[in-house]
Amino acid sequence: MKSKRIVITGIGVLSGIGIGKDIYWQGLREGRSGIKDITVFDTSEFKIKVGGEITGFSPKEILGRAGLVDLDRATTLLSCAMKFALEDSGIDIDKSNRQRLGISAGTTFANFDSLFEFDKTCLIEGPACVNPSRFPNAVINSPASRAAIRFGIKGFNTTISSGACAGADAIDHAFHMLCFDRADQVLAGAVEAMSFRMFLEFYKSGSLSGLEAGQPAVSRPFDRDRDGMVLAEGAAVVLLETLESALNRKAKIYAEIASVASNFEPGCFHQSGDPTEGMVRAMESALKNSGLGEKDIDCIFASANSTKDADAFEAKAINQVFGAYSKKKAVSAIKSMIGETLGSSGPMNVAAALGGLERGFIPAIINFCSKDKDCDLKFIFQALENISLHHVMVNCFDTSGTNTVFILKQYD
Amino acid sequence: MIKRVVVTGLGVISSIGTGKGKFWDNLLKGQSGISKVESFDTSNYQSHNGGEVKDFDANKFIGLRVLPSLCRTSQFAVSAAGLAIEDAGLEGHDFSRSVVSVCLGTTMGESRPIEHLNNELAQGKSIERLDVKNMGLSFVNNIPVNIALEFQFKGRNRVFTTACAAGNYAISYGLDLLRMGASDFVVAGGVDAFSRIVFTGFDRVHAIAPEKCQPFDKNRKGMIPGEGAGILILETLKGAKTRGAHIYAEVLGCGFSCDAFHMTQPLMDGIFECMKNALDVSGIKKKEVSYICAHGTGSVLNDKAECGAINKIFKDQRIPVNSCKSMLGHTMGAASAIEAIACCLAVENDVVPPTINFETPDPECDIDCVPNKAREQRIHVALNNGFAFGGNNACLVLKKYDENE
Repeated sequence: MKSKRIVITGIGVLSGIGIGKDIYWQGLREGRSGIKDITVFDTSEFKIKVGGEITGFSPKEILGRAGLVDLDRATTLLSCAMKFALEDSGIDIDKSNRQRLGISAGTTFANFDSLFEFDKTCLIEGPACVNPSRFPNAVINSPASRAAIRFGIKGFNTTISSGACAGADAIDHAFHMLCFDRADQVLAGAVEAMSFRMFLEFYKSGSLSGLEAGQPAVSRPFDRDRDGMVLAEGAAVVLLETLESALNRKAKIYAEIASVASNFEPGCFHQSGDPTEGMVRAMESALKNSGLGEKDIDCIFASANSTKDADAFEAKAINQVFGAYSKKKAVSAIKSMIGETLGSSGPMNVAAALGGLERGFIPAIINFCSKDKDCDLKFIFQALENISLHHVMVNCFDTSGTNTVFILKQYD
Repeated sequence: MIKRVVVTGLGVISSIGTGKGKFWDNLLKGQSGISKVESFDTSNYQSHNGGEVKDFDANKFIGLRVLPSLCRTSQFAVSAAGLAIEDAGLEGHDFSRSVVSVCLGTTMGESRPIEHLNNELAQGKSIERLDVKNMGLSFVNNIPVNIALEFQFKGRNRVFTTACAAGNYAISYGLDLLRMGASDFVVAGGVDAFSRIVFTGFDRVHAIAPEKCQPFDKNRKGMIPGEGAGILILETLKGAKTRGAHIYAEVLGCGFSCDAFHMTQPLMDGIFECMKNALDVSGIKKKEVSYICAHGTGSVLNDKAECGAINKIFKDQRIPVNSCKSMLGHTMGAASAIEAIACCLAVENDVVPPTINFETPDPECDIDCVPNKAREQRIHVALNNGFAFGGNNACLVLKKYDENE
């Protein structure tokens, strides 16, 4: 297979720190925190009351009034992100291109609440009392499918659910679908929506920050006192296309995807093993596939989510890959601001990196207080401005052992 | 030169048998796997039949140390993967120097732990009292992860959640990974455990046939939910030849489309585009197609739309079309993978499995559905249709392996 050059020509983001790519990027530069009191469900039974919730958005204003009734929160967020990405890319969907426009969406928990509400009605009131129009939302490909219906997109339509790597893997998938000429353009991205049922799983499994009495929930990646993630929601979609297609339609090119690498590490967290090897393999393959060396990478957008093990392993893996260079590589962790958006975290990180490449900044890691001897890297604590980034590495690691890494480069 | 990819191992867990031998024998016999639902109480439902796997013994496949952490869907997946690996002659193979990817499709994922936790919540159990050990088991990515952990596979690990066409999506991605040289082997397929939520959803809209599944029949009364797993071992032709593996079939490509029309109603034009795309990407001419493994759910609208699309493409060609769902029910995310296995075996053995329960022809389903009795005939190319919820369509193309080509 002759490899094609794949570029990004559209960005759509909704996050706890702002809606739309410009406000998102502005928030990242300012070190804004998107963590706030959760309002989408009743938190009274939980010790933790905060999360990265998206506020102040009006689906009606973004999507119009029609067809909103049947959309759950995840579907609404994904549809909005797609709309933004489409508008940003300048693509008008019509008869001539709708069959060649694909969707590759990542999400692992989008349907959790709809599933729960549907099932709860069945259990409490009986199967005859469920609302059948709510059933489609209980199936996890609903957000991507409903978006296709809304925008009339008839190319391939994929949903991928590989945990926190879901969105990163969706972009990886889109990249390959374009290389195999299965589409001219692909809307690739992810969504996770804040929900009671999703929150419950992470709360009970003990992975959230702020579970200890008297400790506030704070997302502080790589900090010595980090005590867990702060759960968040988010939707991020990028428009990928072949360089040829972008040039033909004179599109604005944000960046080129230099390479993607993805793997699994069986010696993973679950088995109290050391997942570093898989992270190292993923970063090394990404470098190899891109033809770049360690020294060429200007900045790393880490996957770090403020959990004890994951951050330490990632820091160790970065050290291993970059060797002598590792003390010079700028490392940022946007989850300090937006929280852990799970399946969305890869595309959120990609969208942040695109901002860095486009506007010349590296966002800071906020909430950082104390240095951890197990995390010894060149962390960015104050946003760097007016810098020229050429090659950026974006990490996405799931605690199950799945690792996906991108290298984005300035289009030349 | 594009790499050729072949299927060298098959593993199946189904309501008509575990393992490819028993599955294939019963499929050709026209054995029905439909029986009374036992995994939950259906007395408040209108329908009571399903395609549950009743003779599955996870202990035969999964070690005692691991078993407690695997829920039913993962148990199916790991067991079917084990069967496929064994069938491919790769049992005990040293994979440490190979990149092995796992690509899996599912509709409901780990439905049992989700439903279990919902039960507890619906009973009013407080959050503090919920059992911690059940948390995280319901994450859908656990399923391919459990396969990779069991066999120590370090390649890509993907779960495709494109509902009832998910198996085809997974197999297609496996094909791409091999063609790119990004994997040496791919464990690809689909899986779903019998889900109360699915049953409730379909029962509520009267979509479940009360007794039997009758695809293409004039009096068909709907689909019947089922469960199972289908796993295929994919590798490059070169790799398979080098190790002297048995080759079932060659994978040529997969066509995709999205109806962009309705969440639950199928669209004839979308199916048509998908099948046409499948032929195009595979470089196959219409006259080369000798068997279509239909999506064939037995629902009034699906079968009509699918037959319409088949006739629009193939016009006067009377290609044998069967519905495995007439026997298995609709195994959701496993369906197109199990049906891909049926295609492999059909292509290998030159037999088309039947569509059972066929009584009355329907002018709106004017196809040769191989009624009630398997048919021996030479099969060159098989199409495997999988159409999902939300109009996510995928059609896989498999061809008889010809060593002279």
